[in-house]
Amino acid sequence: MQLVRPRSLEEAAGLLRNDSRALAGGTELVPLLRDGIVAAGTLVDVREVVPRGVEGTRIGAGTTLGELEVDPQIPEALREACRLAASPQLRNMGTIGGNLLQATRCWYWRLQFPCRLHGGDVCHARDGQHREHAIFANHFCASGHPSDVAAALVALSATVHTDRRELPVSDLYRLPTEENRDVTALEPGELILELDVRQPAASTYLKAMDRKRWSFPLVGVAAARFDDGVRLALAGVAPIPWFVTGPEAVDEATPLPGNAYKIDLARALIRRATAAVGG
Amino acid sequence: MRLRINGAAHEVEAPVGQTLAETLRGALGFTGTKVACGEGHCGACTVLIDGVPQLSCITLVHTVEDHEVTTIEGLRDHPLVDAFVRCDALQCGFCTPGQIVSASALVEANPEPTVDEIRHAMAGNLCRCGTYPRIEEAIQTWRG
Amino acid sequence: MPLRHLPPHRGGDPDLARLIKTEKEVEGRYTETWIIVEEDALDQWPEGPGAVVGRPARKVDGYERARGEARYTADVLLPGMLQTAVLRSPHARCRVRRIDLARASEAPGVRGVIGPGEIEWLTGEPNYEGEPVAAVAADTSAQARSAVELIEVEWEELEPLLDPEEAVRRRSFIGDVKRYERGDFERGLAEADVVVEAEYRTQTVLHNSMETHQAVCEWRGEGLDVYVSTQNIWGVRDDVAEAFDLPPDKVRVVCEYMGGGFGAKNGAGHFTYIAAELARRAGRPVRCALTRREENLVSGNRNATIQRVVAGARSDGTLTALGGEYWCSIGWEGWLPSTAGPLQMLYSCENVRTTEYPAKLNLPPMSAFRAPGFTEGAWSLECLIDKLAAALGLDPLELRRRNYADADTMDGRPYSSKNLMECYRRAEPHWNRRHEVRARSDETWKRGVGMASQTWYGGGGPPSYAWVRLGSDGRVNVVTAMQDIGTGTRTAMAQIAAEELGLAVERVEVQVGDSSRGPFATMSAGSSTLPSMGPAVRAAAADAARQLLEIAAQRFDREERVLSLQGGQIVSSDGGSWPIEEITGMLEDGQILGKGARGPNPAGMRVLTFGVQVAEVAVDVETGEVVVERVYAIHDVGRIVNPLGARSQVEGGIVQALGHTFSEARLDDPRSGTILTRTLDAYKVPTIADVPEIECEFIDVPDAHLTNLGSKGLGEPPIIPTAAAIANAIRDATGAEVTSLPISREEILRALAEARERAKDRVAAGST
Repeated sequence: MQLVRPRSLEEAAGLLRNDSRALAGGTELVPLLRDGIVAAGTLVDVREVVPRGVEGTRIGAGTTLGELEVDPQIPEALREACRLAASPQLRNMGTIGGNLLQATRCWYWRLQFPCRLHGGDVCHARDGQHREHAIFANHFCASGHPSDVAAALVALSATVHTDRRELPVSDLYRLPTEENRDVTALEPGELILELDVRQPAASTYLKAMDRKRWSFPLVGVAAARFDDGVRLALAGVAPIPWFVTGPEAVDEATPLPGNAYKIDLARALIRRATAAVGG
Repeated sequence: MRLRINGAAHEVEAPVGQTLAETLRGALGFTGTKVACGEGHCGACTVLIDGVPQLSCITLVHTVEDHEVTTIEGLRDHPLVDAFVRCDALQCGFCTPGQIVSASALVEANPEPTVDEIRHAMAGNLCRCGTYPRIEEAIQTWRG
Repeated sequence: MPLRHLPPHRGGDPDLARLIKTEKEVEGRYTETWIIVEEDALDQWPEGPGAVVGRPARKVDGYERARGEARYTADVLLPGMLQTAVLRSPHARCRVRRIDLARASEAPGVRGVIGPGEIEWLTGEPNYEGEPVAAVAADTSAQARSAVELIEVEWEELEPLLDPEEAVRRRSFIGDVKRYERGDFERGLAEADVVVEAEYRTQTVLHNSMETHQAVCEWRGEGLDVYVSTQNIWGVRDDVAEAFDLPPDKVRVVCEYMGGGFGAKNGAGHFTYIAAELARRAGRPVRCALTRREENLVSGNRNATIQRVVAGARSDGTLTALGGEYWCSIGWEGWLPSTAGPLQMLYSCENVRTTEYPAKLNLPPMSAFRAPGFTEGAWSLECLIDKLAAALGLDPLELRRRNYADADTMDGRPYSSKNLMECYRRAEPHWNRRHEVRARSDETWKRGVGMASQTWYGGGGPPSYAWVRLGSDGRVNVVTAMQDIGTGTRTAMAQIAAEELGLAVERVEVQVGDSSRGPFATMSAGSSTLPSMGPAVRAAAADAARQLLEIAAQRFDREERVLSLQGGQIVSSDGGSWPIEEITGMLEDGQILGKGARGPNPAGMRVLTFGVQVAEVAVDVETGEVVVERVYAIHDVGRIVNPLGARSQVEGGIVQALGHTFSEARLDDPRSGTILTRTLDAYKVPTIADVPEIECEFIDVPDAHLTNLGSKGLGEPPIIPTAAAIANAIRDATGAEVTSLPISREEILRALAEARERAKDRVAAGST
């Protein structure tokens, strides 16, 4: 394995080929490399080429969660999502760009069961242990998306700027299918550079978790009120960040025997988040 | 490669993929930095990189060239050490160096943290002996 | 070593043999053994703080530990040391059809490979996931790991047995089903005015000591040095000596500092034997260290239980019957901890019947975990007692008092000391806060208070020895081959020696952790270290003091009986005093050597610890979030040697209990038996943000019958009642009856929904 440090985006783009991986905070990539879940011949240290910092509504993808959680320019929902994510050290290391691309915490996936996300033909969680898993869109793969930040950005209608295009953050994600097991729509070698966040009139992020800190969401609810209404997005309830219209959307959940409790939880948090932003 | 650790320069050889914790504990003999999970979950391996607490067990050593690394060995005379001993903020002590490293960054940025601020900043350092109430007291009274 | 007189009240006969038959108790397991005892029959110090004992002392090894200078097993680095990796069974039950170690043996850096059957601890027929099959030693860990990947193995997967109730049906047991009955249980039920029953469950809990299980082994001549993270260096010595057919003293076991144990490190373990065997073959030192994931597979656990319990009482609250059936998921190996213990022992009740099933399953073996059995059993019993109180319309505290046991419930023996009633008395003001706490509830957050009490062993016992060395510089060295697992043992021993010798604690060094450098000492388990070792250290210090005074009597021309040691001085009752250096200074290279031993436990008495905890909680009835706001703990463990360290033990026990109460659970795949939560993101031990305000208090009255110290152990008691106190507080706040640990969101939301249904039914019933 080799590590390279491109000085320009062009250089980085040239280096990010088949067996190479972009490395920023490393909080996800390094453990996955060491577990053999991800293989790489070349690590491309992109920290010098990906923007870092906040300017108005623009957030450099290299900004750490630790920097964002204390930045007053950032809408409350995103700040709180950062604050309640992971552990302090992980927030100090992990970037917002990397956070959006993190993999599920599904134990079957992490332990390399031959599950659907790994290209296999069964979801082990559906008939197994799934208390932390998805209650929406869970027929093919019941993994839950762990990113608090992604839910906040979906609620905030953020736009993702990559080195190739710009797209709404919700379009960054796709449900895995038989043909394509990816949960993001990013092309190979494509780099997230910046995020643009709409300024809401009010926003919030509420999170139910097993500990008071340092836990992935059982249910996370981001709410943002704009002139055209309140936008809601959930973490931990579907294989990708989940946009909902209101508490009634929870009626469409398809919980598994061991995670039906998330329905009550989601309903309660949606109601509270909506009320908190004055919706 | 060259590393700056606790203000001193060190030359080490390490294959790409080796972590900072492995280098510190192995080639350099800084065994004060403990590894308890090896995958970024427990905080025992916490070191400061340019003054910011990070996890040396999932930091590739080659990414900290040109950065200042501070380990517990660089903080041995920090008043927090006294405070931890005075408040009985350690039992087995295996997580303690990491706790002190994290706490040192907290009090550097915020010399009089509230209980909530302590709990927020220290939540990534697990202590299985359960010394948390003592740690809270040690940080609140770190100046003696 | 001369055997000394043993007073009759300690089981000896002053005129006859010093060989006595006594009960030995470890983690609640009793064995009756012949034992050679000796003791300086010192009178106990008076109740209350002395000059050093009973006063807060900082950890004598605190700086080494805090600065990262303490050398744990994980830090042992020997010249030429090899690293290992272990091939483990990927299945809960399988057979190795074929295994080829050749490619691994030839891999870069590899210095040795061992496979199934080459040592007892490597198997070709694994019976739980993670069971060791083969091991590789190589120059580096990475090389060892790569070589393990090269082991070619063909597994034949077999159907695992994973369900404890199915195991009981098939009579798949570890040892015997344990049945106990006193009185007539059925009659007791018949005599009851009120009967309540319930099923409680507890999860598999993982110790997760911060330092994983590990050993470094080095052969030196015919002998073997073992550096190991252990609670029991003498047990490791004996086990390793037996395995390698060595005289025990050819095995030297060293554990200077260890990073936690909690019961999981009571023996040598496969990693020690693997390291020793590979070291023997390679002729080099070998480390075998478990990764966190391996730790959470194979290093032991608090076994899961299903507990069906029943209580009957007369309308005045008098218990007439207590019964329980317990399904314990022991795993493939292990033993049956006493889950029924609290139900049998905590309350006075004439009619008790229990059955405990030790289910043998294709799951990793259990091991002792801080009050094994009693922690699980107190959870069900103390929840049941509150349920009974509700059914009787009695105050739960009052119900507990009405069934107070004045003598041992099992055999009528007197307690050596019991101050549980005093614990209840001191708990009362905190218990009485519940009206005020409840009144602070609002629509969403309901508040309440709950309590639970506890009993456990913790008396320690012989044999245990200590030496005290006094040198010409007037400093003291306590030498004993025990281990300090982080509980502050070194500090307590320094305090006891300092107290006896009239010195400041700073003048005492304590050397522990090396079986070749000190006499036999007890294992650090079963809350036994202080009650076993403390009296031996005190006896040794007294022996040294006596010798010092003998010399002083000659030097200062006084009768020995007028001299004593106080504040670093030799004090004469006629008014003279001299710094002890005036005597020790004369020693030059000479030394005063004091020797001490732990005497027997009081004959015919039951030695137990007791305690009460009161918890205040707030419950968000919409989301099921529970905030434990305060835990008040009061424990009765005899004399407190170090109030600072004792408070830490109580807080630590409660914090650990919060883990199994709310967030910790080992989850196993129900079909394959794969352990799913083996990493510390998925297996959630408490963080600093989860901790309530904890207030603790001790009765701090020496047990007049127990040793020259009167102290019992405190490591385990505080973890026992917490979960039930919290569950009872949740019931007080919301009416919800939680019955499974952990009290996860799904459990509390289920219980809240059930409570709402009950309330609706009541309203419906009331309106018709």
